[in-house]
Amino acid sequence: MVEPLNTSVELAESAVTDAFRNEWGRVVASLVRRTGDWDLAEECAQGAFEKALARWPGDGVPDRPGAWLMTVARNLAYDRLRRSTRESAKLKELATLEFNQPNDGTADFEDDDGPASHESGQPDERLMLIFTCCHPALALEARVALTLRTLTGLSTAEIARAFLVPEATMAKRLVRAKHKITNAGIPYRVPAGGALFQRTSGVLAVLYLLFNEGYSASTGSELVRTNLCDNAIELTRLLVEMLPEEPEAKGLLALMLFHHARQRARVDERGDVVTLEDQDRERWNHDEITEGDLVLATALRRGGVGSYQLQAAIAREHVRVGETSSTNWRAIVELYDQLLLLTDSPVVELNRAVAVAMCDGPSSALALVDRIDASGRLEGYYLLPAVRADLLRRLGQRDDAAGSYRDALKLVGTEPERRFLETRLSEVAD
Amino acid sequence: MQYMFIHAIDEGLQWQEGLETEVQATLEVWLEESIRSGVNLQGSRLRPTSDATTVRVRHKEVVVTDGPFAESKEQLAGYDVIECENVDEALAWAAKHPTALIGSIEVRPLFGDPPRMQLPEQKATTLRYLLVVTVDESVELSAEEQTRMGPATEDWVAKAEAKGARLYGSRLEPASTAQTVRVLDGQVIVVDGPFAETKEQIAGFDVLECADLDEAIDLAAKHPMARFGALEVRPFWPFEES
Repeated sequence: MVEPLNTSVELAESAVTDAFRNEWGRVVASLVRRTGDWDLAEECAQGAFEKALARWPGDGVPDRPGAWLMTVARNLAYDRLRRSTRESAKLKELATLEFNQPNDGTADFEDDDGPASHESGQPDERLMLIFTCCHPALALEARVALTLRTLTGLSTAEIARAFLVPEATMAKRLVRAKHKITNAGIPYRVPAGGALFQRTSGVLAVLYLLFNEGYSASTGSELVRTNLCDNAIELTRLLVEMLPEEPEAKGLLALMLFHHARQRARVDERGDVVTLEDQDRERWNHDEITEGDLVLATALRRGGVGSYQLQAAIAREHVRVGETSSTNWRAIVELYDQLLLLTDSPVVELNRAVAVAMCDGPSSALALVDRIDASGRLEGYYLLPAVRADLLRRLGQRDDAAGSYRDALKLVGTEPERRFLETRLSEVAD
Repeated sequence: MQYMFIHAIDEGLQWQEGLETEVQATLEVWLEESIRSGVNLQGSRLRPTSDATTVRVRHKEVVVTDGPFAESKEQLAGYDVIECENVDEALAWAAKHPTALIGSIEVRPLFGDPPRMQLPEQKATTLRYLLVVTVDESVELSAEEQTRMGPATEDWVAKAEAKGARLYGSRLEPASTAQTVRVLDGQVIVVDGPFAETKEQIAGFDVLECADLDEAIDLAAKHPMARFGALEVRPFWPFEES
């Protein structure tokens, strides 16, 4: 019998919340692996957490909440499958693993502790889950939704609100994804050998998309939207833990942390954009910067160089100085040069031009920007005219700057950025 | 002469009441008659485009995307391999099939005269896929690429068959040889050309039997045409499954 550690209801509820964050993905992953039934897995995980909420306030929080939840969820699945006569194959699968009664928290659950291999060298089940959710045969938006649903426990309604679509749309998206996994035979596994590298990039791309969705959410957005950054960071941390040999996962985590560290300083109380040089560095999260530094250093020790690591290194150059004037722009330009060898991206070229302006002055940068513009590759991208406008403004060419600000305003997406551009326009167009 | 029936249906089609039962009944009769008479050698219903995956190899990278090889109003929904005396007979058979009533059937001759084959019984642990090899016919392969294509494809076929992953397949005559059959208001309409005027057209197909989609994708990526065209991997949809 488990000794009640604490009978306070509040403590129990907060324990459930913590357990939810830490254990949801693990429980779902384990059930999906054993039953192959994604809906069943989610429902039983949900049931287990509901039971915890009902029982822990009275019985006390168990010594090992994860083990408790896992047992309850598995037993719920076992009951459900037993009642459904068509599921005898799945039942056999579950039954071969020893079940214990819910109130025996001391069951043999070594295999459910710890992030890495357990059960005689089997990969962490959450790793299998994340690779399956991010399989390239699934539409990108389906990958993002399925990853969130199964690994973070966000409800369908919450995910819908996070991506600004109706709940029915998101529900359909999730159902379609699960059907495709079954109908097309998407395997539930961590890819082996050569495929692992390419598929890992796919997973990282999904996580980065998730982060950017949250990062670009303006103030006044629902919390569930801005919290996408936290979800993305947590999942990337998990990936780093489970794939210690993969430096790009560390690169991505560092990149996210460096960006996220500045989150609270990016907009002021009115919701207006605050440029990097004007940001109050006291409002930066220095713990995240420290973590990012550590993670990036570990990645770079491996010698190889990847796009996320380079982007993280660039972001790091911005956050490691006391004020913007000390920024090592020359180093940043060199990092962009390396990045351009890996990815032929006009956005990267544009960002490099901004750094060149800081080293060599606005004129040389202007030539670069005009060259990108002439290629037409950034047609419709508001930052191109915005950057040009800024360079012209610094060169004192006010009329031309005003023209470019107006071009940018035709393309800009969010309100805070619109107001920023309008302010700049009024400065040059008097 | 052997022909491929390429069944194409608008997936957004609203099924009027009673139509589904009528189609089901007509289909059962058609299958029974066509198989009994030796005309129908093999075939299968296919899962919809939401279960399709397309594989391309570009700049030595394998690109996997969700969805069919091209967007068109009507989409591939099933296939048959038919043997008839001549194309008119084939068209007559197509006109009696329920797909002609609700969609269209493209009738395309198989290239050469491949061996007739019925598909073996499916294993319990595997999945079957139709690998649809498509190419933009206006794209010219270099002379060297053209000479290499034949032997490279034979090599691919041999390796896939040795693993038991390829059961059957055939190249098709070009899309210009296709004739598409529809039945509208009781009238049989035959139009020259494929069922959809997409840039990429079906150039051939293979029937794969694999443990999972990754195996099928891997095979598709190794196909010599993957560098020039788009290979769609579409799961079989047996009639026993809803």
